Amino acid sequence: MIRCDDVTKTFRKNGAEVVSLDRFTAEIAEGEFVAVRGPSGSGKTTLLLTLGGMQRPSAGAVQFGGRDLYGLPSAERARLRSGEIGFVFQMFHLVPYLDLLGNVLLAAPGRPSDAERERAAGLLDELGLAKRASHRPGELSAGERQRLAVARALLNRPKLILADEPTGNLDPENAAEVIRHLAAFHRDGGTVVLVTHGTAADEHAGRIVRLEQGRLVAD
Amino acid sequence: MTIWAHILREVGFRKLNALFSLLGLTLAVTIVAASQLLAEADERETRRVTRDMGFNLRLIPSKTDLGQFYRDGFSRHAMEATTLDRLATQLTNNVSFNHLVGSLRRDYTINGQDILLAGLSKTFVAPGQGKKPMGFQIKEGTIHIGSEIARSQELKKGDAMHVGVRSFTVANDPIETGTPDDITIFARLDDAQSILGLSGKINEIEAIDCLCLTADEDPLAILRKEIGGILPEVQVVHQRTLADARAKQRQTREKVNAVVLPSVLVAGAVWVALLAVLNVRDRRQEIGILRALGKGGGRIAGLFLGKAVLLGFVAAALGVALGTWVVLEFGPSLFPVTKKAIQASSTLAWQLLVATPVFAAFASFIPAMLAVSHDPAETLRED
Repeated sequence: MIRCDDVTKTFRKNGAEVVSLDRFTAEIAEGEFVAVRGPSGSGKTTLLLTLGGMQRPSAGAVQFGGRDLYGLPSAERARLRSGEIGFVFQMFHLVPYLDLLGNVLLAAPGRPSDAERERAAGLLDELGLAKRASHRPGELSAGERQRLAVARALLNRPKLILADEPTGNLDPENAAEVIRHLAAFHRDGGTVVLVTHGTAADEHAGRIVRLEQGRLVAD
Repeated sequence: MTIWAHILREVGFRKLNALFSLLGLTLAVTIVAASQLLAEADERETRRVTRDMGFNLRLIPSKTDLGQFYRDGFSRHAMEATTLDRLATQLTNNVSFNHLVGSLRRDYTINGQDILLAGLSKTFVAPGQGKKPMGFQIKEGTIHIGSEIARSQELKKGDAMHVGVRSFTVANDPIETGTPDDITIFARLDDAQSILGLSGKINEIEAIDCLCLTADEDPLAILRKEIGGILPEVQVVHQRTLADARAKQRQTREKVNAVVLPSVLVAGAVWVALLAVLNVRDRRQEIGILRALGKGGGRIAGLFLGKAVLLGFVAAALGVALGTWVVLEFGPSLFPVTKKAIQASSTLAWQLLVATPVFAAFASFIPAMLAVSHDPAETLRED
């Protein structure tokens, strides 16, 4: 599904060049649940954003479904992100002035259809948020916010979910709940790439990848 | 969700930012609307006041002895009335004179009282300027009389008065002016020509010069050159004091407009742009997630430009209402002579309702482009 060939990403920080991802090469097959581990600054988030078409690598190539992801025009890449990839972030990144339903429907590619509204309501129900559909994210607990972010990621029935430390701000109970939902998505045939420090996802992840200083050190 | 629904919810959420933008724009529109309405009122007042001051350009037969002219207030020589028609045909935007009135003035005795009789032609105005003729129009069969004549002859408005062999109706309420007008009867030109036995004659063309204190050239030299080329048989007398007063008033207004309007527009644009930049900074994470969800630059720019358009429209409505109220409330005390003509302008309202949203969108353009070009990966990786 995704293939990375010698993907390198460098940044300039305080005048010095920092290598965030160093000749990363790997392939992720459709239906895999991959946990990406590594210390802070090891390039995990960079890898996730690069896989999601959000950050062009300095060198190397990323193939998504056989297409050169960064060879696509940006509008085409945006369409691909919208239709086939779902993101879940540690900081939730919810829109504070939209209610829960509005936040989930934000993922709809255009003006939400009745079917999309129905699916959004169904997802909120599935994730235990139906009663709070008209609330705003600021009124939710951290666990509820992350479940909302998961619902948003699932709206368009993506093939891939990229989750960046989704349990980093959650207590163990809520963390397990979020992982359960990602595992359910995986069971239904979806692909998950999960960046994590913890071990909560170990029982679901079929593959664990370890990064250090931007390099793949274990797979 | 439509983009407008999205914008409205954001405005409702970040009330303070929207409120400050709205205040800045409303203030700018209020000042623009009020200054435009006041400028129009000022123009009317100036026109009226200068009209009351009289014409400042007098064209008299070239043979006239200026000593006699200044002593008597009119020329004892006459010229053909067609002279006026010849000059009137040259009235364009390219000449430095306007509002031409032909007149025939002579001393006259009526019921033993020595007076002046003045016949006035209709006023010729340069075409296409939308200017109303200065001076008053005398209706058929009527005359306007000075206060001293009214007092001596015991006449008032509506009374009949015999001048020569004809009877006229007094059309004005005679008011003392402290000028020779108090002992003047104003009649239509053809009536005065008939009474004085000077058919087809005038002895003066009155006009207003359109030169506004040219610093490097003598206005009289310009006028003499222009008019002398058309009418070699006249000499030009320029009443400099009146001309300067008129020009100074117009220049003051133009200077105020030249400073106030651009300042307000620049200040308004900077204010809106700064608030839009703050809004973009506040919404960096939102922009990042919208990008991650596959929203394009058009949608993101639309959120910011649409907000500017929405606030601009509301500000225009509020500003026009406020500016108009200010002028209607305080205008009459500033422009007492023409206070009845001060009114709201629907044309100005429509112009501002269209222009303000466009202006606000322009002011927000750079912040919107900042939002579009913002690297979403940068904010999405922030903890």
